[in-house]
Amino acid sequence: MIEMLTLAKKELTDLRRSRLLLVLFAFLAVAVILSVVVASADFRLKIADYRHYLDALKAAGSTAAAPAPQLFPLQMLRGGMEYLEIIGSLFAVVLGASMITKEKGRGTLALIFSRPLGRYAFAGGKILALSLIWATTMGALFLVIVATLLLVGNAPLQGGDYLALAIVAAHTTGYLIMWSLLAMTLATLALRTGTGLILALVLWLVVVLIIPQIGDTMDPDNQIPGGLFASLQVDKSHEQAVMAHFTGYETTRDLIEQTSVTKQYERATFAYLGIKNEYNQQSLSFIWAGTFNNTLWLLAGLATSLGAALLSGTKKTILRKAP
Amino acid sequence: MTRWSAVMVHELLCTTRERLPQLLLAVFVGMIAASAFIGSSARASVTGVYQEALRQGLTTVSNPFDALSPLYYARNTVIYIVLIGALLAIVVGVNSTLRDRQARTADLILSRDVGPAFYLGSKLAGLALFVLLLLALSALLNIGCISVVTGQVLAGGDSARIAGLYALAWLFMLPFVALGMAAGLHAASSTSALLTPIVIWSVVIFILPLLGTAAHPVSLLNPVSPPPAPQGGFFAATSSLVDPLSLGEQFKHVGALILADPQATGTMAGGILTMAAFAVAGCAAVVMTRRTRMRRLLHD
Repeated sequence: MIEMLTLAKKELTDLRRSRLLLVLFAFLAVAVILSVVVASADFRLKIADYRHYLDALKAAGSTAAAPAPQLFPLQMLRGGMEYLEIIGSLFAVVLGASMITKEKGRGTLALIFSRPLGRYAFAGGKILALSLIWATTMGALFLVIVATLLLVGNAPLQGGDYLALAIVAAHTTGYLIMWSLLAMTLATLALRTGTGLILALVLWLVVVLIIPQIGDTMDPDNQIPGGLFASLQVDKSHEQAVMAHFTGYETTRDLIEQTSVTKQYERATFAYLGIKNEYNQQSLSFIWAGTFNNTLWLLAGLATSLGAALLSGTKKTILRKAP
Repeated sequence: MTRWSAVMVHELLCTTRERLPQLLLAVFVGMIAASAFIGSSARASVTGVYQEALRQGLTTVSNPFDALSPLYYARNTVIYIVLIGALLAIVVGVNSTLRDRQARTADLILSRDVGPAFYLGSKLAGLALFVLLLLALSALLNIGCISVVTGQVLAGGDSARIAGLYALAWLFMLPFVALGMAAGLHAASSTSALLTPIVIWSVVIFILPLLGTAAHPVSLLNPVSPPPAPQGGFFAATSSLVDPLSLGEQFKHVGALILADPQATGTMAGGILTMAAFAVAGCAAVVMTRRTRMRRLLHD
């Protein structure tokens, strides 16, 4: 246990000294801030359009009133969450792989394992360090997000919003730790330094981009600009009646999407942030009831990557030679 | 064999022999082959939904997929080129220059009567040829898969349009090859050599379009054109700044015009010129690399 803590401390010191972590954090923070700025500008334009519309109605002598666009502050985080989903996980892959590649590059692995270490102490130290890094980084990033929503988005946040943000931060931390551990495992198992990183990148490409893209493309409503049902002039209630005849197709599409842990993360976080209309302004218990399976799948992914990282990070695996 | 062609052929051989780009290549070619079948499944579901809505008396409009061109089935390939093709270009570019630095072959080659510009130019030409061959194979595969899906051999005009799309894809991928090579030449470690161009790619593909159009990053993965950008002050200013830099969106726009997407409007000239400008700038940056930079040691 002591050696694991020592190794974790050494990792944290290494990362504090390198600029990599600072660059990654700054990049993610800027991306998230920009997405809130854009969402805020977009909402202001909608309000301006709405006022023009009302003025036009008044000028035409009409007394009819249209509902004003409503601001749901957490919905402004959609772009930011998608950046964490795509770019955040990419950074997590690089960070996880670098935990092993730097030791291979410096030739320090043989030295570390010449010490009397417990079987899982090396991997445990790395895992602990990665977990602490991502928990701290996400804590800081979500503070930036709150400040951006309050200052840039002029969004009044309530107590429930802070709780929802904390839950989303916890999901994001788990998601990013999972990607770092997967990349670390592949870097450990690969005999050549760059191989693990590229294998992890291919896995990232398939899970984060390709599978969700296939699911998205198979959605009939995504085939026509503005939506298929809107183009057919079919309203929401009738849309469900039509889609009830395509349950087999929809189940297959859903299964394809569910094979991507990114989609599980997206579904859970979008529900807590109210981005999915059916969960907007609902209680946390209602959202949990609808999305607990997504959270559990995410946890299963995290547990799998944790187990893989722990089992692969042994002296026997790491110090083996190419045949 | 001239020195130029010797370096080109060597580059081509090294790239085709490397297992890891082969993995990305397999994903790329596999998705190109699958794209027509994914499109076919989407079309069948839309037609089914339309017929059900018609049966229930919910709509009177015509089927939006009536008289659909076979080129519809190639639309997904545009997205796969933007995602997988560009990443593949980066990886082969990075590997090409990192290989020399890791094996210290640059020292040996530069001791001969070969200038850095000549050597790097011929390496770049080798990789450009590799990408061209890969895209030619993908185009044939795509045409074959669309023919299978539609149940008839694709017409000459449509095949020419698909060939045009892949020619454009070559122009789109070239700056990413150059970016990867430049990163491999300038980075201090192999990790940062791979990370830097991928970060630049993610900015170009996912962040710049959001600034100009408010389009959400994941919606950019859908081949259907996003709704037009708001024309207000903020977006008018940002889109004029970032649109020329959004290489992925330029490629998607010109690609949609080539594939005769009825929703695509405008001309191709601007997009093609932008991509060509990026390709020229990227190639120039690689070729102008100094001898001392090529011989620098890696720190990992």
